[in-house]
Amino acid sequence: MVIKQTEQKESMLKRGWWLILLIIIFLIAPAFLSEFYLTVLCEALVMSLFALSFNLLFGYMGQLSFGQAAFYGLGGYTVAMLITKVQFNFWLSIIAGVLVASVIGLIVGFFCVRLRGIYFAVLTLAFGQLIFSVVFKWHDFTGGDDGIQGVFPPEFLKSPTNYYYFLLIVFLLSAFVLWKIIHSPFGQTIISMRENSERTEFLGIHIAKYQLITFVIAAAFAGLAGAIWVPFYRSVAPSYLTWIKSGEPVMAAILGGPGLFFGPVLGMFIMTFFHSWVLGFTIYWPVVMGALILAVIFFLPGGILGFIQEKVNERKEIRNRE
Amino acid sequence: MSFDVLFSQFMSGIARAALLFLVASGLSLTFGVLRVLNFAHGSLYMLGAFLSYSIWKFLLMPVLGFYLAAIIAALIMGAVGILIEYVLLRRLYARGWPEQLLATYAIVLIIMDLVKWAWGGEFLSIPRPKPFTGAVLLFGFPFPSYNFFVILLGLGLLVFLWWLIYKTRFGDIIRAAAHDREMVSALGIPIPWLFTWIFVLGAFIAGLSGAVTAPFGSVALGMDIEIIIECFAVVVIGGMGSLPGTLLGSFIVGEVYAFGIMLKPELAIAFIFMVMAVVLIIRPWGIFGRPER
Repeated sequence: MVIKQTEQKESMLKRGWWLILLIIIFLIAPAFLSEFYLTVLCEALVMSLFALSFNLLFGYMGQLSFGQAAFYGLGGYTVAMLITKVQFNFWLSIIAGVLVASVIGLIVGFFCVRLRGIYFAVLTLAFGQLIFSVVFKWHDFTGGDDGIQGVFPPEFLKSPTNYYYFLLIVFLLSAFVLWKIIHSPFGQTIISMRENSERTEFLGIHIAKYQLITFVIAAAFAGLAGAIWVPFYRSVAPSYLTWIKSGEPVMAAILGGPGLFFGPVLGMFIMTFFHSWVLGFTIYWPVVMGALILAVIFFLPGGILGFIQEKVNERKEIRNRE
Repeated sequence: MSFDVLFSQFMSGIARAALLFLVASGLSLTFGVLRVLNFAHGSLYMLGAFLSYSIWKFLLMPVLGFYLAAIIAALIMGAVGILIEYVLLRRLYARGWPEQLLATYAIVLIIMDLVKWAWGGEFLSIPRPKPFTGAVLLFGFPFPSYNFFVILLGLGLLVFLWWLIYKTRFGDIIRAAAHDREMVSALGIPIPWLFTWIFVLGAFIAGLSGAVTAPFGSVALGMDIEIIIECFAVVVIGGMGSLPGTLLGSFIVGEVYAFGIMLKPELAIAFIFMVMAVVLIIRPWGIFGRPER
């Protein structure tokens, strides 16, 4: 998949007005949404953060991880266990969730960054399933199949609207940090590794080290997404760590466009709202998702945002010629 | 721990290895030639298992039923293979591997729901077919004779694939195409035709091995992902696209699993990944594989 590096600081500033407009829409959204759709919006925000963490690996580092849900689930489980079992502080629990996901990410990443392409995808999938099966089978510690219920946030975050604003703040801050990482020299190095790893290596860059750091950052943000979701949903289950969950950010990225920063976010918003709509009349969501993946691969390579970008560029070119 | 216990554990490891070899050989063959990692291989295996169950039930034949059902299910899976290769994969060879992998991932999701819709979430099984109903005593331990059937089938497939790949003209083409696709095409051999047949063969083997697992009593949703992940471990350890590698990988994974279960059942799968991780550190392309160019 050839992913074009199209973002530049200037265009970001030029596009700044629509970003502000979007943020305003998000700020006033709770006033216009029913509680059901507010919940869906919350889920879309959390899953978008999850998708952004995945796309750091896929869109920017050029490696497809099929085990990202393991870190999402680890973040969620850490928070759930700390809050329900030892009545740990909410904020510290979330930080602990991020830390656990990062540490496990460091261990898993140590093995995975030695590999490229299909091998990377297979190994991340294997580790993801390994972590899932440990959580699933270690009944005494994690609750196994039953998961953990009764994970409550502090009093002032119990209303969905308040929690929504909390999620929005975390999402915006995280997106900003990820944006900064990608546009830092570190981020440019990751992109250059994707474009030509041999050449980057000849420049004196230790590829495995850079990839490991990226892997840990991605795991940390996936863990954060899981950690902030669980207290809102009040429970956690092993299904959070499965390969199906890992497939969702992959799907979101190709739907929205992995080459653009907000591509996976758009993809995840479409998927989450589509999901809640489809569930209204069928339980067969995976088959819908499968068909959607095939449709995007065949008819919309580059994703929706990629498609729009292409059209805009074409028009610009025509204008320039005139 | 006495010798007999270890030996009986070793034998059940061999039986598991044989089953893994049945499934993984098709996956490895497809990858070796098409360079497409078929995520849906485990789904073809699962669909084969469910189909053989329904055909067996429909046939109502006491002795031959199982064998006939297995062959019919495998043939149907071969036909499904034609469909998948011809309609989907063929259009994606020019694209990158992420799209190919994702397309097969989409097939996993579709087949999963198809099976859920058609058969529901129950555990199904076929009684062990004659003459493999009983048990054989090995060093005083009862060992299901059906396991021997699976081992024999695995050996049979090994011999067949070896013959096909190393002793026939078709095999010459397979090996040449795995080595240099353009050159084979330049020699006037239609590559798309070769790819279709290889994929069909892989799908046929997947369906057959699915049918063979039915008497183990484990036909259920989720068997697709369970097997594909173990098969990934097999081909990663042995080397993707290598027949001897798949054999060795199956043996290692089967034995590690069998002895892992004896030590700590919850962590049996973890032991496999530990072996996989060690192999990947020492030889990232697997024991018999070759480095990616």
